[in-house]
Amino acid sequence: MSEKEEHLDAPAAAQSSGEPVIRSADDSAKGYTVHAEDWHFDEVRVYVSGTVSMDNAEHVRRDLVRAVTAQPMKNVLIDLSKVEYFDSSGAAILLDIFRVTDELHTSLRLVNVPERIRSLRDFADLDRHIESGILQPRPEPNLLIQIGEGMLQLHRNTVDILTFIGAAVEALIHDVARPGKLKWDRLWKLVDKAGSDAVPIVTLLSFLMGCILAFQAAVQLRKFGANIFVADLVSVSICLEMGPLLTALIVAGRSGAAYAAQIGTMQVTEEVDALRVMGIDPIRYLVSPRILAVALALPCLTLIADLAGILGGCLVAAFSLDITPVGYFNQVHKVLEFTDVMKGLIKSFVFGIEIAMIGCLRGFQVRGGAESVGAATTSAVVTSIFILTVTDAVFAVLFYYGPSF
Amino acid sequence: MSEDLQSNHTASPPIISVRNLTVGYGDEIVLRDVSFDVLQGEVLAILGRSGCGKSTLFKAMVGLIEPIQGEVYIDGEKVLPVLEGASEKILRKVGVLFQSGALFSSMTLAENVAFPIRLFTKLAERIVERLVMLKLAEVGLTGKERLLPSELSGGMQKRAALARAMALDPKILFFDEPSAGLDPVTSAEIDQTILRINATLGTTVVIVTHELHSILTVADRVIMLDKDEKNIIAAGSPWELKENARDQRVVDFFNRSPADDRGPVR
Ligand SMILES: Nc1ncnc2c1ncn2[C@@H]1O[C@H](COP(=O)(O)OP(=O)(O)O)[C@@H](O)[C@H]1O
Ligand SMILES: [Mg+2]
Repeated sequence: MSEKEEHLDAPAAAQSSGEPVIRSADDSAKGYTVHAEDWHFDEVRVYVSGTVSMDNAEHVRRDLVRAVTAQPMKNVLIDLSKVEYFDSSGAAILLDIFRVTDELHTSLRLVNVPERIRSLRDFADLDRHIESGILQPRPEPNLLIQIGEGMLQLHRNTVDILTFIGAAVEALIHDVARPGKLKWDRLWKLVDKAGSDAVPIVTLLSFLMGCILAFQAAVQLRKFGANIFVADLVSVSICLEMGPLLTALIVAGRSGAAYAAQIGTMQVTEEVDALRVMGIDPIRYLVSPRILAVALALPCLTLIADLAGILGGCLVAAFSLDITPVGYFNQVHKVLEFTDVMKGLIKSFVFGIEIAMIGCLRGFQVRGGAESVGAATTSAVVTSIFILTVTDAVFAVLFYYGPSF
Repeated sequence: MSEDLQSNHTASPPIISVRNLTVGYGDEIVLRDVSFDVLQGEVLAILGRSGCGKSTLFKAMVGLIEPIQGEVYIDGEKVLPVLEGASEKILRKVGVLFQSGALFSSMTLAENVAFPIRLFTKLAERIVERLVMLKLAEVGLTGKERLLPSELSGGMQKRAALARAMALDPKILFFDEPSAGLDPVTSAEIDQTILRINATLGTTVVIVTHELHSILTVADRVIMLDKDEKNIIAAGSPWELKENARDQRVVDFFNRSPADDRGPVR
């Protein structure tokens, strides 16, 4: 056996002689030879020597393919006895060469494989059951299967949602029926997060919305000399529609998304399961206080939004329509009824329940990892926007045809 | 080459040098003035009870946290904080297996393993694919290539993370508690994989662990850290320490439970 082979066989021995077997990837970028020799009339022997590493594997492969396919021989032997450094990429290209020779119906054998390389992997054993395309995305099933799976998914989803709503309502009733058992400080913290922290953004956006409404109305009303009606328009539309809806959308973006992300992450890290095994119903522990918190906070925020919006209208009215604040508020007082404000608040109470429920539901639906949490957050906001708008439409019809207060 | 270089294994050149390293978080110093070498081709285990700063030392060694004082050299090159200009050379030489596995959850196993290969080499996609297969076969995950990490058990995730850590055949592999939370069989399999890589590729292995059995199986040398001294309190071969240590903390560690006292592992 040559001295080099000994090195390959026994790294420890080679090390102790002071000559490192393993060269670092950077100084082994070059330095290989592939050289073919006819052995018998139907046999070619290919010698690989030097260094085969991730940096030159591509070249080695090309040369090997050329050597193997140059003349179609019955048998190809690849002799590795002179290889000094050989890493997994070498093993990978050998696997590839096996595939090439299989296609040519030549038989390929590795000879003089140093022990060290052989233990890199049992290639001969591996190449037979190569399933190619492992890096490609999973194949799409055919259309019928997809439709079927879609229906099943829909069914499971519906069952999930209904179960969740049932459980959440049950938990809520439980909590509301026995307020003594409620953890008020936890609830209070949640109200603080969902409510107090949202006050600045709600105030600002609603104020601006009031300004915009007043401004657009002013352009039209001035034509008829009906300037003063700007107060009617702003106050009624803010209190009935814009206030509750705008606030709800903001809270859906803040708290709904946050709940989905929180509960989703808890689901991933098995915190939810930890609650379950301690005998705590996660729906009661996590969902019911959140629903209560948003349902309480949202009407308060809406009230603030109403005030800010009306003030915004007042500002624009004063500057562009020469209506004094006193005149403006007199008019508001005349047209705005208590029931209008109440209608808005009732709506926002319902919106609050919906936002928290959707956020928590999406959180509980998380399966898998970080990506799934992201999807849940997105879906919480989008679903909320949809449901809020639909609910608003239903309320509009109800309030119009329903019994007046 | 001189005579003593030939006779003495410990004379092979250090591949990692830790010099007067002081690390901590904010004002809290976790380790003070620590120095040691890791030799080319050895398996070094870093031991110590929880909270003594093993992970902290580990992170400083791979450049994830900046030392308060001192330096770490890998192959003679100073390790800089990873995002502030760690050289590609160092990054390619080092493979890291984190305590939690840290597989990318949005990618399949095959994509996870292919990620560093695609990042650092120009290999053709076909070769990358073969390479990924080899690596996953090495850790016994053939057939699971297209699954997402969340579709695997904890042990399988750990093994897939190991495959990713060794994707580029790094010169040095770092392991943070590779057997944490694994069953003894899987954990022994991981030990065997570590030994195989060390033997076939001559990879230097630095492993943080407190699994006595796995230390005695895989480690050539151990260093033991202590929370109060904030430094190394013992170093040497694991068997030597087990038999001859006099320091009570070391004795406690090696002889804490008779069940672990299984005699030499062959
Ligand atoms: N990110 C961090 N911020 C502040 N202190 C930390 C942080 N990580 C760890 N520590 C502290 O550093 C010490 C060592 O922690 P660690 O290195 O994780 O220990 P080990 O891995 O040995 O169990 C502990 O006291 C821990 O509280
Ligand atoms: Mg740790």
